[in-house]
Amino acid sequence: MKTKSNNGLETMIELIKVSKEYPPDVVALKDLSLSIASGEMFFVIGMSGAGKTTLLKLLCSMEIPSSGLIEISGKPISQLKGHHLARLRQKIGVAYQDFKLLNDRTTAENVAISMEVSYKKPQIIKKRVRDLLEQLGLADKHDTITGELSRGEQQRVTLARAIANSPTMILVDEPTGNLDAVTTEMVMNLLNKCNKAGATVVIATHDDSIYRHTSHRVMELRKGRFHMMTGGIL
Amino acid sequence: MSFWLTVFRQVGRNIRQTWASQLMTLLTVSLSVLIFAFFYLIYANMLTFGEKLGDDLSLIVYLEDEPGPELQLQLTKKITTFDEVEKIRFISRAEAYQRFARQLGQNQDVLNDMPKDFLPPSIEVVPLKNLRSLNQVKLFSAYLSRLPGTLKVQYGQDWVERFYYFTKLLSIIVLLSGTLLILTTIFMVAYTIRLTILGRQAELELLKLVGATNNYIRTPFLLEGLLQGIIGSSLGIVSLYALYEWIKLRFSGPGFLNLFEFSFFSPVVSITIICVSILLCTLGSYSTMQKFLRI
Ligand SMILES: Nc1ncnc2c1ncn2[C@@H]1O[C@H](COP(=O)(O)OP(=O)(O)OP(=O)(O)O)[C@@H](O)[C@H]1O
Ligand SMILES: [Mg+2]
Repeated sequence: MKTKSNNGLETMIELIKVSKEYPPDVVALKDLSLSIASGEMFFVIGMSGAGKTTLLKLLCSMEIPSSGLIEISGKPISQLKGHHLARLRQKIGVAYQDFKLLNDRTTAENVAISMEVSYKKPQIIKKRVRDLLEQLGLADKHDTITGELSRGEQQRVTLARAIANSPTMILVDEPTGNLDAVTTEMVMNLLNKCNKAGATVVIATHDDSIYRHTSHRVMELRKGRFHMMTGGIL
Repeated sequence: MSFWLTVFRQVGRNIRQTWASQLMTLLTVSLSVLIFAFFYLIYANMLTFGEKLGDDLSLIVYLEDEPGPELQLQLTKKITTFDEVEKIRFISRAEAYQRFARQLGQNQDVLNDMPKDFLPPSIEVVPLKNLRSLNQVKLFSAYLSRLPGTLKVQYGQDWVERFYYFTKLLSIIVLLSGTLLILTTIFMVAYTIRLTILGRQAELELLKLVGATNNYIRTPFLLEGLLQGIIGSSLGIVSLYALYEWIKLRFSGPGFLNLFEFSFFSPVVSITIICVSILLCTLGSYSTMQKFLRI
């Protein structure tokens, strides 16, 4: 069943009264309800520990919610298993805050992983990897072991891996934390490009330079709860 | 197509990463196959030899007196009431003497001073082919010795008994080495796969996160177990064959091996051993994966 949101677009992400508690009693997210349209760019902000990363982890089903319902394109993801879960994850690109790079592999190999799991042809993978590294200013790091890269470079490799497989949903956690203004712009340009191409993009950040002048919606979390929403044309 | 390409790349990576333990496993697998096949080969040959021995088996019943035609009939009837037999033949004193003389050949003259009837008359009983087991032969022999007028029964007791216990011992060794084979292949393969999995936990976690299907993660490990099985067991069988050929070459001419025909496994048996080893190895890798990948 395809659902329509207020502005007529299909809903990509639907959260209804979602809570996440970590044992013993850390409440990382409390009663969050949210609906993000397909093709939307969406910012999640908040202080450190507000629950931004937790929200993204729930969206890519890396964690399961303690309570509440999460639907991606109309499908409740907590019930997905095995093959179906794998298929869904191939359609979601995630740039993790802690990168999760394989530090004994080259940059190219790290980026290629997300395409390999969906059995893309080697030539296509090669071309796409070169292309992305070019756009992120990493062309000369193609064959460097990622363990030897600077944090800012690793961050961009993570982003490249997240979008390499052209996912319909991109979750980015703190994409510009270690970057200068020029490189930040480079990253945001790439994300905007993906968004223009139709991908739903969710960005968690505390870098106000990237959302200050945006026309997209910005949601602020405080201590795991919804605080306020700004921007967007509803 | 791309699937197998990535799978093979993964396998190559695994092998490069843990080649030392992979090699150990390979050697262990082939060594256990070699040990098992070695004993099994001897056992199989013993069995064929035993069959031939059983074919020639006959019991000689020595009698006190020469039986008349009527008594011969009676005895025949008595013998056949125990079991059907292949053949019964009465040998008179004179016949026994002639036979003995023939066996002596040129040394016949030692018999010159002997009376022509010093050898007892006897009955030669050839049991049916199905009367193979030692116990049955023993029972039959006991039965025959209880017939009236018998002196004793002979069938090469010592020989048959020793051979019987030897094959029995061999069958136990074959069983033990077979168990060893099963245990080592399953556990060694499981152990190396476990090592690989533990060494690549981060990567496997990531693969799951970027949406690798279970098959994508599992197939390389299964293939690894399969390879261990194929290479290991083939190596074992081939080295046994080399050993066999070497022994045949070394000890050709009159000797132990020519006493009875010693032959290698038929291709079917060799392939069965290899297939079973492959199955065991794959099983080992599969079980570990289920445990450690939690997929
Ligand atoms: N695995 C975990 N076990 C226990 N507590 C956790 C776990 N992960 C997160 N938390 C807690 O949940 C809360 C929210 O964490 P989260 O990582 O979502 O914050 P964040 O908004 O991403 O912060 P930052 O901006 O520093 O990345 C924090 O108090 C954190 O300590
Ligand atoms: Mg965070």
